[in-house]
Amino acid sequence: MDAIRIPAPAELDALDDEHFRQVVRSFLHENYPEELRNPPKRLHWDENRPWYMKLAEKGWLCPGWPKEHGGLGLSPAKQIILTEEYERYGVARTNDHGIVMLGPLVIKYGTEEQKQRFLPKILTGEHIWCQGYSEPNAGSDLAALRTEAVLDGDEYVVNGQKIWTTLATDANWIFLLVRTDKQAKKQEGISFLLVDMKTPGITVRPIINLEMHDEFCEVFFDNVRVPKENLVGQLNKGWDMAKALLGFERIFLGSPRQSGYALSRLKILAERMGVWEDAEFQDRYARLRLEFEDLKALYGTFVEKLKRGESLGPDVSMLKILQTELFQAITDTMLEIAGENAGLLEPMEGNRDLNIGGLFIQARPATIYGGSNEIQRNILAKNVLGLPG
Amino acid sequence: MSAALSGEDRAESIRMIRDSAAAVAPPGGDMKRVRDLRFQTPGFDPAILRQMGEMGWIGLRLPEEAGGAGLGLGEACALAEELGGALVPEPLIPAMLSASLLAAVGAGPLERLVSGEALVLTAWQERPDTLEVPGSPDAPRRFLPMAAGAASFLLPVREGGRIALYEQQAGAGLTTEQTQDGGHLGTLEPNLGMATRIADDIGEALTLALDEAALLTSAYLLGGMDRAFAMTLDYLKTRQQFGRIIGTFQALQHKAADVRMQIALTRASIEAAAATLDAGATGDARRAAVSRAKARGAASSMLVTRECIQLHGGIGYTDQYDVGLYLRKAMVMASQYGSAALHRRRFMAVSPEVEE
Repeated sequence: MDAIRIPAPAELDALDDEHFRQVVRSFLHENYPEELRNPPKRLHWDENRPWYMKLAEKGWLCPGWPKEHGGLGLSPAKQIILTEEYERYGVARTNDHGIVMLGPLVIKYGTEEQKQRFLPKILTGEHIWCQGYSEPNAGSDLAALRTEAVLDGDEYVVNGQKIWTTLATDANWIFLLVRTDKQAKKQEGISFLLVDMKTPGITVRPIINLEMHDEFCEVFFDNVRVPKENLVGQLNKGWDMAKALLGFERIFLGSPRQSGYALSRLKILAERMGVWEDAEFQDRYARLRLEFEDLKALYGTFVEKLKRGESLGPDVSMLKILQTELFQAITDTMLEIAGENAGLLEPMEGNRDLNIGGLFIQARPATIYGGSNEIQRNILAKNVLGLPG
Repeated sequence: MSAALSGEDRAESIRMIRDSAAAVAPPGGDMKRVRDLRFQTPGFDPAILRQMGEMGWIGLRLPEEAGGAGLGLGEACALAEELGGALVPEPLIPAMLSASLLAAVGAGPLERLVSGEALVLTAWQERPDTLEVPGSPDAPRRFLPMAAGAASFLLPVREGGRIALYEQQAGAGLTTEQTQDGGHLGTLEPNLGMATRIADDIGEALTLALDEAALLTSAYLLGGMDRAFAMTLDYLKTRQQFGRIIGTFQALQHKAADVRMQIALTRASIEAAAATLDAGATGDARRAAVSRAKARGAASSMLVTRECIQLHGGIGYTDQYDVGLYLRKAMVMASQYGSAALHRRRFMAVSPEVEE
């Protein structure tokens, strides 16, 4: 597979799907740092920076952006193939909020001046973005957010607190949903604001999670003055913009990859613990394996829809529920067969494939973030099944 | 022995032991002490272990003539439950196990152990998830809780049809691995040449002591799940989203009701097992009762603490919020003295048919 020539970035979208897949594999093989495959934790900027800069150098950083803005201009179908191959290879996520969230939003709603000011700096890695949406009292009920921005002359004055801000300690810019009209209905008084993290009045405090990792942060705003030209789109339309951006990427929350990874590690553990051949274990494994295979098939039907150019409906929530609960069931099983090894802080026998407790803990928040599974079930009940309430 | 106590006296005795637990696990106390000891060596406070000795807890199950309190498993389970609620890290259950062995043979460092002056751990285990004691003279002894704080180790060694007991002083031959709850597990290389032989046959005493330790571990887990659920209920009654207290959402109410049922079953199972053993059950009847209680405690402690995280949402996934400490403790203790699967198998192997 090394023999495959890697075409120029601008030519990638024209390849047929299978050829494109081979090109991605070859690209990863040649360029991805071996030591960063399947990292046990979300990497910080100082760790994933080499890969980010490699992608930037090769012109592969922003697969979904249009070519005129420095992206690859890939269709959703090709972006899914790209993601599948990244997942298969164990490629780490970068500090990608600028690439995945802010860039597309500025491209869709920003002024020409904003596009020229912000997009190139994402492409060079000069601006590392984080996302300030959730607040202590606005989690599942995000529209209840209260961090406010009040216009004072040519500046907005921002006061409030964000939470669960991923990798905020790495970022030098943050995009915020802020309340700009307290009288309006809660979804209709929210605006979208870009803030330089070096502005006086911003405090970032890491939160240690159950992985003992500082991936999430709290970000506090105390009379932070932001130039009014940093508002994106229309005043009080921030909610609609943020929502419109939740496009086909929602499918990735239901990608069976995590479960596939965990299943293969469950098998390794079962062999190590000497229970692989047990009939009782085989039955349990078979159940999990069949869940996985059927989830893959269901996932495939959604991918096909996207390939046909259709958009995703609310039924995509099924994927997220099924994948995250399967991931948890697999890691539960790992704990149950590991005996006392289940309680170890580090991987058993120093073997990263036997990271029992680590994987179990990583599986916990999957049913909470990205819209908790309770919220996803509400969506299914109301928007798919049409149940009242 | 207190097994002879009447129902009323027994209830009073259990109430008293619960009250006395407040000395180490004050009701409504915070987790500062527990947090400060996490990921430190030896991971517990020797002064608190001494206090446990002074309160008579390490010798709780020993007859009075052996310097014990002569109390039953009803009391011991109540105590373990209180300590589990506060996530007390001092290794009382392994210390009680060693005390039972030494009292049975009337030799070795019993007095120093029971007084809490010295932690003595029994190094019986050679592989994960087992209750069997091969007693190999040179196989590494594994999964020793809080081993870095032990003064000496008791080594069961099989000699023909009997299991002799040696005492090996701490020092060389110990390695440790950290655990999710902030403690550690030790692996000890036996060195019988340097060890002192203290008894010829402890086979029977060890089998009994392991059963009691399994039951007490289940009770400790019960205390933890009960407290984690109480925190969760408080949260459900105060946290607001969508303009409502989240505890008004029926999906969450049903989840909470399911959790409550698991805790009720666990408590019933443990209390039944303690009563069965206190009434003098032996052999298969004892093993069946213990295995029922430990299978339930291990499985439901994981289920309950997992659900408590989920019901909290994001805040439950932070280290600074206490509910996660209960999950991490359950991850470590659910498999100690036999996993749920091991005890389910053992139950089926020894239990009589279902009575109709």
